[in-house]
Amino acid sequence: MRNAYLVYAAKRIVQAVVVILLTYVFTFIVVSILPGDPVTNVLRNPQNGFSEEEIQAIIAAQGLDRPIPVQLWDALSGFVTGDLGLSMRSGRPVATMIAEVLPSTLILASMTLAFSLIIAGLIGYGSQALPRKYGQGIVRGIPSLFLSVPNFVIGLLLIHIFGFQFGLFRVIDPNSFWATFFASVTLATPISAQIAEVLVANLDNESRQEYAAVARARGLRQVRLFFLHLLKPSSLPVVTVIALMVGEVLGNALITETVFGRTGIGSLVQRSVSTQDLPVLQAIVSLAAVVFVVVNLIADLVYPLLDPRVKLVGAVRRPTTADEGSANIPSRVVTE
Amino acid sequence: MTFSLNPLAARIRTARWSETFPPAVLLSFLIVALVLAWAVAPGLFTSHNPASGVPADKLLGPSAAHWFGTDHLGRDLYARVVYGTASSVTSAFIAVVIGLVVGGLMGLLAGFLGGWVDVVLARLVDVLLAIPNFLLAVIVVTALGFNTTNAAIATGVSAVAVFARVMRSEVIKTRQAAFVEASFLLGGSRWHILLRHVLPNASRSVLPLAVLRFGLSILVIASLAFLGYGDPPPASDWGLLISIGKDYLKWPWLVYAPAFVTIATVLSVNRISRWLRKTN
Repeated sequence: MRNAYLVYAAKRIVQAVVVILLTYVFTFIVVSILPGDPVTNVLRNPQNGFSEEEIQAIIAAQGLDRPIPVQLWDALSGFVTGDLGLSMRSGRPVATMIAEVLPSTLILASMTLAFSLIIAGLIGYGSQALPRKYGQGIVRGIPSLFLSVPNFVIGLLLIHIFGFQFGLFRVIDPNSFWATFFASVTLATPISAQIAEVLVANLDNESRQEYAAVARARGLRQVRLFFLHLLKPSSLPVVTVIALMVGEVLGNALITETVFGRTGIGSLVQRSVSTQDLPVLQAIVSLAAVVFVVVNLIADLVYPLLDPRVKLVGAVRRPTTADEGSANIPSRVVTE
Repeated sequence: MTFSLNPLAARIRTARWSETFPPAVLLSFLIVALVLAWAVAPGLFTSHNPASGVPADKLLGPSAAHWFGTDHLGRDLYARVVYGTASSVTSAFIAVVIGLVVGGLMGLLAGFLGGWVDVVLARLVDVLLAIPNFLLAVIVVTALGFNTTNAAIATGVSAVAVFARVMRSEVIKTRQAAFVEASFLLGGSRWHILLRHVLPNASRSVLPLAVLRFGLSILVIASLAFLGYGDPPPASDWGLLISIGKDYLKWPWLVYAPAFVTIATVLSVNRISRWLRKTN
């Protein structure tokens, strides 16, 4: 068992490193080989008003005159050693630019995670404890409603209601408590819906198990049944889902930060996209991938330790046979 | 033992009509049909011109004359939504087709051929999954250039990985089924098995996924349009309309009307997807 786990862990770690490196290469190819050639697009764009000498200086500094594979190799080895290069627009180190805006996004992301768990928990509780016909039906419909609303609409709705009508926060002050609060709620809605979907499915499954029937027969009330028995086994698979959601938070932050006018990673992406600042884009996308891969790696490594029923077959995480029919472990496919 | 290649049709034949189509599903089909009709023949649904307005009528609330009110240039918002439908729906369709064809092919090859093809494609899918979905769409549309078609392509690229995953697992599941082995033993060629057995079976779970992705693509494309990565005004994609509306939050129908249409459409599409999955 120990041995199998070590093999599994080693393989997963190697795989994660490979994926991170490949992702960097993929992103590099997308941003540098596709039609958007940085020299003509950004530097020679008359709007930017670079003189020919400045252009030559930037080309030399960024090494844009070298063949693409050489550039890739340089960028990749820089990335591995923690050097993210220089911004094509401002000439500042990309790492500094990211470090400046990171705290704001981290606050947003952690509040989002907290709200997502709270909302998903409430939906999960409602799906079990409310009266079957109307209460449960409504609560169970919430995730699909949340997943059908464009994220920016939720943001605009909250700004309109709480910012404009109730005057809780002002749009020009995006870092105030309430603005951050509602920005996190915005980000949390689709995330909570996806967590809730898995949670509800697992709760349903657990409440059909014999031990739940026994507990009910002993006269355990629904509240205690939920917290004492159903919640723990049902929330284990949620660990995997939360790890998958990290990428979604990073991607959606782009929209939420724009809607709420916050500065953060998302707005930095937005700015680098509009100015075609490719080194910044490349760095953020690769770092997002690193975060995603590492978080999922941790989830995959911790999972077998949390759930002793999980057997490691050929270094791949699989549910044990007794568990197989229950589809307890979500696959890594997010939508199903 | 018979294998129905089309369980949906079989189900519809045997079950009672009202059981097969719950009211919510019927309503969803109606909404989707209406939206498709808007896309095909917008002129039939409104007599207003989406591009030119009456300045005197600017920022009017919803009324009998202007169902969704008017915008800051006095243009009828309902007409703008109706005329914007074609672009929003078509681009979501393009995105799904790209995801379905590219991802499906990747999954099919990986699952059917196995070996190093599977390994290479699996790593590619891992890479695509490692980049946050929306960020991936953003960098692809940045590389291609900002317009609605490119936004659709970018959305499609961001959907490839999911299709590849589902298709691969379905193909592997089917390959191991007894009737496929039987077909091999009876001398069925690889092509025959692929087309006659593997694809029809895989389509059972890929079809609901495609429908689900259609709804999601509407949202992603609306988000890209909202950020200004789609066609510029006077185009009237739903996301763009909401984006314009956000500068006029004092007149909230400019946001809520196109948002309502988007939500109703996506909700209906998702309901249909869930129904398809269940009837299968």
